[in-house]
Amino acid sequence: MTPHRGHVLDDAWYLDFAAGSLASEAEAVLVRSHVELNEEAEQRVAGLDRIGGALLERLPVGEPLTFSAEDLLALAADDDIVESKSAGFDLPSELDGIDLPDALKTYLAETGVRVKWEFLGPGLRKAILWRGEGDTNLWLLKAEPGVAIPHHGHNGSELTLVLKGSFWDGDQEYRRGDVEEAHPDVEHDIRIDPSGVCVCLALTHGKLRFANPLLRAFQVFTGI
Amino acid sequence: MELRSEAADGSHGAVLKMIVCGVIRFTAVIVRRSMYAATHISHRPARSRIFDPGRGRMTDLTDRPVLSTEGREMSRLLARVGQTRDRAAFRAVFDHFAPRIRAFLLQRRLTSALADDLTQDVMLAVWRRAASFDPSKAAASTWIYTIARNQHIDHFRKVQRASRMDETDPSLQPVPPPAADDLCEQAEAAETVGKALEALSPDQRQVVEMAFTEGLSHSEIAERLNLPLGTVKSRIRLAMGKLKTTLGDLE
Repeated sequence: MTPHRGHVLDDAWYLDFAAGSLASEAEAVLVRSHVELNEEAEQRVAGLDRIGGALLERLPVGEPLTFSAEDLLALAADDDIVESKSAGFDLPSELDGIDLPDALKTYLAETGVRVKWEFLGPGLRKAILWRGEGDTNLWLLKAEPGVAIPHHGHNGSELTLVLKGSFWDGDQEYRRGDVEEAHPDVEHDIRIDPSGVCVCLALTHGKLRFANPLLRAFQVFTGI
Repeated sequence: MELRSEAADGSHGAVLKMIVCGVIRFTAVIVRRSMYAATHISHRPARSRIFDPGRGRMTDLTDRPVLSTEGREMSRLLARVGQTRDRAAFRAVFDHFAPRIRAFLLQRRLTSALADDLTQDVMLAVWRRAASFDPSKAAASTWIYTIARNQHIDHFRKVQRASRMDETDPSLQPVPPPAADDLCEQAEAAETVGKALEALSPDQRQVVEMAFTEGLSHSEIAERLNLPLGTVKSRIRLAMGKLKTTLGDLE
């Protein structure tokens, strides 16, 4: 068996992340979480951050500032230490047993969003965290071991980050920290690994497109 | 903005000139390098792989020794702020970086009042979090850049949600004092990144610079340049591949 190679995003996403130009907060939460959990992604971003630093060095200095270091030091107390906002935050009990990345914890703490698991299909539950324009959703997917998500495509793009457990798409396994980037023209057959529950953070644009008309009809009720 | 476009034009002019000069020198350089290679064990094989002879002169322009000393000095000073809360060291770091952070924010089309406010926030964060700066992991410029970028993102989140500013950044854990060698290494690495950027093709450099200077996402870059998304993505991939080789050589 070949060693597991992590699944990462297209480089364009890391450039957007490092440059601070991701389009929405939902994208930022997902990409940041992935970068936290995936070593390869972390290294790519670290390289790009160095480029950001090098470009910062080269910027023209421009006109003199209207404030000095002394002004700032007068504002700052010697012993003020910045606390992480998520430090004192109790995670919703609905997320028990899931080791969440800090980016997602911070997001939950700051937005105070309620995590509510809803029925999505047999062995599948969803919890919507954020809804944007044009059927854009940031949501959590919880799947029971061994569950299959029938043959489907996407009406828009989709990013799926594994937080716990793993799933298979064909012969590719996606584990914690891995991201699958789905495009409208690619069909998927997803199978949750039988070894345990799988939890993913997903950002979808548009609804899933099932090959089976019965499932399409059923979708009206589930909203994904 | 005007300052920047002048600088950009200037550098393009310089690129052309250097390529022409480089072609003339090409043969001489090749001959000299192979003679060198035949008689010496190269100290830095990685570098000669990155920079083709046609570009040799151009990288010299951006590799002034003064920058090298300055970069190392900034990392040393910032580490001292973290370890001993040295106010004089902070003043030096401030004088170097605050105007550049302001310029960075102005490039992102912030008003000058807002750019001033955010520059203060960034420099305050630098003062408060300096204990978590680890010069063996990052150059001062890289570390400060990530703070500026995150504060800028947080500002827009704040506007969007009208909530308090986020202060959570990578590890806030204090780090042990750095070894002197580490200080120099990462500061030097930051300069090599500058050179690596110059080694990209103009197309590739353009997308990377548009992302960093104007804060455009890859789909916005595609729109602006009137190119298919796939083309922009592949340029980014090629650029990253080339940069990765360069940066990998620095590890």
